[in-house]
Amino acid sequence: MGHFLDNNGFLLVTLVQQALLAMSLYFPLAAGQLSLASPGFYALGGYIAAIVGTLDYFAPWRASLGWLVFPLEWLLAAAASALLALLVGIPALRLRGIYLALATIAFVEILRVLSLNLEITGGAIGIFGVPQLFESRWGYIAVFGPLLVCTLVFGHRLERSRVGRAFRAIREDELAADAMGINTTRYKVLAFVIGAVLAGVVGAMSAPFLNTWNARQGTFDASIAYLAYVLIGGSRSIWGPLFGGMLLAALPEVLRPLKDSRLIINGLVLVFASIYLPQGISGTLARFSPGKRKGALPAGEPQEDA
Amino acid sequence: MNPVIEVKGVSRSFGGLMALSEVSFAVGEGEIFGLIGPNGAGKTTLFNLVTGLMPVSAGSVELRGKKLTGLSPHRIAERGVARTFQNIRLFKGLSALENVMVAQHARTRAGLFSGVLRTRACAAEERRVERKGWEILELVGLAGRGLELASHLAYGDQRRLEIARALALEPSVLLLDEPAAGMNAAEKHGLTSFIREMAARFRLTVLLIEHHVPLVMDLCDRIAVLNFGELIAIGPPAEVRANPAVIEAYLGAE
Repeated sequence: MGHFLDNNGFLLVTLVQQALLAMSLYFPLAAGQLSLASPGFYALGGYIAAIVGTLDYFAPWRASLGWLVFPLEWLLAAAASALLALLVGIPALRLRGIYLALATIAFVEILRVLSLNLEITGGAIGIFGVPQLFESRWGYIAVFGPLLVCTLVFGHRLERSRVGRAFRAIREDELAADAMGINTTRYKVLAFVIGAVLAGVVGAMSAPFLNTWNARQGTFDASIAYLAYVLIGGSRSIWGPLFGGMLLAALPEVLRPLKDSRLIINGLVLVFASIYLPQGISGTLARFSPGKRKGALPAGEPQEDA
Repeated sequence: MNPVIEVKGVSRSFGGLMALSEVSFAVGEGEIFGLIGPNGAGKTTLFNLVTGLMPVSAGSVELRGKKLTGLSPHRIAERGVARTFQNIRLFKGLSALENVMVAQHARTRAGLFSGVLRTRACAAEERRVERKGWEILELVGLAGRGLELASHLAYGDQRRLEIARALALEPSVLLLDEPAAGMNAAEKHGLTSFIREMAARFRLTVLLIEHHVPLVMDLCDRIAVLNFGELIAIGPPAEVRANPAVIEAYLGAE
């Protein structure tokens, strides 16, 4: 039983983690900004946790704080991600659409090459033996689970708030939003920072979970995977990345018995989903839901600018 | 009478093309001011310069003696200059109500965290914003369509929603870019009284671009005529109608 839970616990935590990373891409997208920077902030958060957890310099912290060093790592990761997101976001968000996507890919790549070459990040080998927060992998659901719930509540309420409406107005028509009194630069940067902080905290939680951290944690492949999560799940509400992240991260595991052909099936699912579910899973579900909640997001509207 | 909007020697060129050259005029408090002229005369460009969507090449625009030129569009909107667009630019994926709620952004305060935590002040503000949204929709006759997506509204309703959205900003100056475009005769007639009513009710100063000359003549206190980026006439409708330069611009010289 313990073994079963441990194996499946790993998978379950991974699904939650991937859903969270999908959400980190969703927030900028909610304000119309196609940013693929999440893996960069994820890597940054992980390195912060790994460094604070292993470096001798921080030994007194670990000794005096005990397990409280973990929440401290999350806070540090959040703060560092927010700061870096401000530095990167203010110039980068002057770019639009695919140009912003390219700039954020470059950002991820710069961080990756930096971490490959710096001593403090362990170079190509990375950092091993990151202290564990829990004895079993299963236990990590106790940190990722609450983060998922908080993020869902945050995202859901954000959509129905003044700031969330400003995000959506910018996504619909940036110029009209500006002419209607919305400081578009400010809200684009804010959306970018929210996504970055989330990715950074997920990274800081993941380093102890994975026990090791290296430059393979933040790559271009991951950017594309997260984007697929959001597009398949739906980009019009916070539920989209939840569904998309969990389903797509589970798919390779579910298809594991098919051995190598699972990659083909995986690819086919992506292709068919993008053809037949252009609104994503959440958008399609919302279209068929009969009772429209008061103030609910109108769903199922073809998007002109993806 | 102190002018509300003062356009001072404004020029704008696109490459070698002079879209506007040294246009100056002033619009007084509560005036309904028409801007007419053939296509390409620079009317929409002038609106874009006033609202900050485009930088001027020279000159300046002032609102009650304070310079607007150089401010970003959202700052100009905050100061009470709202507009509609010639080619309707609603937030199409948002409901009609949400469109009107978004426009109250500059008049409300809720931040990221108070919005997400739903503090008491924020919830009260949210209720006010929604109530006011419904009121404005009611005013333009769209209360029954509040929950529909803006893109699902009929063309005339979209035009009215754009005006509603601009009103929700609580402007003192309203810029209407061809509000009657695509409307039939009855709708155009309705629009005239609607604009008058709104201007009186909200104490608005209105700048209006319109091609439909009878509507402009009927509605406006004064009219400015642009032709190839130059101001060729300004004055009350009857005077402008009789102006030879205007007749020439519209009908061509003998």
